[in-house]
Amino acid sequence: MPTEHIKVDALVVGGGIAGMQTALDLGDQGYQVALVERQSSIGGKMIDLSKVFPTLDCCSCITTPKMSATAHHDNINLLTYSEIESINRNGNGFTVQVTKKPRYVREDDCTGCRSCELVCPLEVSEDEHEFGRTSHRIVYVPFSTAVPQKAVVDIDNCIFCGKCIQACPSDAIDFTQQPEPVEIETRSIVLATGFETTPIDAKKEYGAGKLRNVISGMMMERLLAPTGPYGRVLRPSDGKMPASIAYVQCAGSRDQTLGVTYCSRVCCMYAIKQAMLLSGALPLAEITIYYMDIRTFGKGYEQFYQNAKAMGVEFLKGKVARITEDADQNPIVRVELIDEFGKTRVTERQHDLVVLSVGLLPGGNPQAKFGVPVGEDGFIQVPDYNVFPAVTSQPGIFVTGTALGPMDIVDSIMMAGAAASATASYLESSNGSGKEAQSQPERSVEYA
Amino acid sequence: MTTTMEAKKKRTEMLVEMRKEHRDTVQKAQELLKAQQSTRKVLERALTGGPHSVPQLAQAVNMPAHEVLWHVAGMKKYGIVAEAGTDESGDYYLYRLTKEAA
Ligand SMILES: Cc1cc2nc3c(=O)[nH]c(=O)nc-3n(C[C@H](O)[C@H](O)[C@H](O)COP(=O)(O)OP(=O)(O)OC[C@H]3O[C@@H](n4cnc5c(N)ncnc54)[C@H](O)[C@@H]3O)c2cc1C
Ligand code: SF4
Ligand code: SF4
Repeated sequence: MPTEHIKVDALVVGGGIAGMQTALDLGDQGYQVALVERQSSIGGKMIDLSKVFPTLDCCSCITTPKMSATAHHDNINLLTYSEIESINRNGNGFTVQVTKKPRYVREDDCTGCRSCELVCPLEVSEDEHEFGRTSHRIVYVPFSTAVPQKAVVDIDNCIFCGKCIQACPSDAIDFTQQPEPVEIETRSIVLATGFETTPIDAKKEYGAGKLRNVISGMMMERLLAPTGPYGRVLRPSDGKMPASIAYVQCAGSRDQTLGVTYCSRVCCMYAIKQAMLLSGALPLAEITIYYMDIRTFGKGYEQFYQNAKAMGVEFLKGKVARITEDADQNPIVRVELIDEFGKTRVTERQHDLVVLSVGLLPGGNPQAKFGVPVGEDGFIQVPDYNVFPAVTSQPGIFVTGTALGPMDIVDSIMMAGAAASATASYLESSNGSGKEAQSQPERSVEYA
Repeated sequence: MTTTMEAKKKRTEMLVEMRKEHRDTVQKAQELLKAQQSTRKVLERALTGGPHSVPQLAQAVNMPAHEVLWHVAGMKKYGIVAEAGTDESGDYYLYRLTKEAA
């Protein structure tokens, strides 16, 4: 397989909101950018969210135009379904080896019509976006707003019946596809590798992932999204519309037992947001948030919290010790409640559905993969966070979004601007060639 | 041989080759397909009797409710079932076969 060669000014790794915005900011300034995303679509976690705090705007309505702008930008070369294999310093720049994984569908020919998907006879669990709560066919377009809107074959579950080949009007299915090597020569790298969330089975006190009606905040995002697995908020054990929903805050943050001592910054706000959305989706449902303290640090966030209280969401200060379930799989929350005078009382309360406000963990393994140092929390560490928040200790390597630490979308977008401008100033000053095919006076700047 | 026939022959040969190359996964996938088709048939048969909620279907086909819900979610996604209001308690949606599936 011949190696494809790409030469750019900046390589952005990760196509979540932070990576897309950085690529767009750099591309708009005339720099040539390659964006590498390991999943089959860009969009990151944001495309899976229902609505965003504090405005309650539809998340897909904000993210989809950004995804489309990124894919269609003249200066951005988008490589999805691609893995970074190695990064080597090469003079002032880097040589990066990337593997494009086979989709078994020719990207150039596929129109995303889904004719193949509709005739494919077998379904398997949709784990990437829907937590296994629904299925996808073996050949499938990942989701309705995926960018690129191209099918992909789950080859390990394919029976090679050939129905998809017959149905495809563009003759795009190609089972002989192999991984394709791509070599990217770049003068700078921006890491936008994002975050993961605390696994649902992390805490045995909360059922260790075995209680069907104890779900994560991210899964509740999918239940609230019209494109979600059921198109409604139903509980996973039996499809009941839950009449009583509880949130357990800090389920994976500020928790010594899990080695996660930091606050994940977004969980209080997303729990409040979801509680408000649930009040709309299930007007008769009782919603309780068990919390130790509520952190509403951003612009308009405190008002958002007060609005939720006014809407009837019950905020109970207390520490949840344990979650079990009764014979009907209703979760039972054992909680030590703390009243306004600091007096405590242990009680057990039954709910139909419990949501763990899981925390944000570092995504991937940036230290091993990209040679950048990480802090005790596992997120990428920069030498001077206050002055150069996007500049790592590796010259020419920058960082943005939640790869740096937990942050919300507003902050991720601001960090993208910071990363793009730090990268641009490095490109203009470091080795003199400036924008590709355009010579700039040589200047030298130390980033260390 | 016409070009269409030649193309068809080539495609068949390629698929046979693929099945050989991926023998182990194909066998597992074929078993899964068999089980899935029979489950779907049972569910569809139950639904020909009229709309059912997930617990009603679970009882009718003797399958855990969470598994029924997984199938119903997939069947809804691919246009085999559609919602048909709620049950008497108002706690559960009912599902019916779509016209196309029926
Ligand atoms: C349940 C929940 C609800 C939330 N709700 C809100 C809200 O309402 N409002 C708000 O402001 N914030 C919210 N947030 C926070 C928000 O999701 C984040 O701020 C935002 O998504 C961060 O974007 P990102 O680009 O940094 O990371 P990500 O979205 O994680 O994107 C990173 C991307 O990089 C890719 N990647 C990782 N490693 C590699 C690699 N080695 N090679 C190639 N690609 C790679 C990943 O596949 C991914 O696409 C919520 C978070 C959660 C968990
Ligand atoms: S060949 Fe594979 S992907 Fe295509 S229809 Fe058959 S099972 Fe589905
Ligand atoms: S592979 Fe063919 S049938 Fe499937 S979405 Fe693409 S163009 Fe349509």
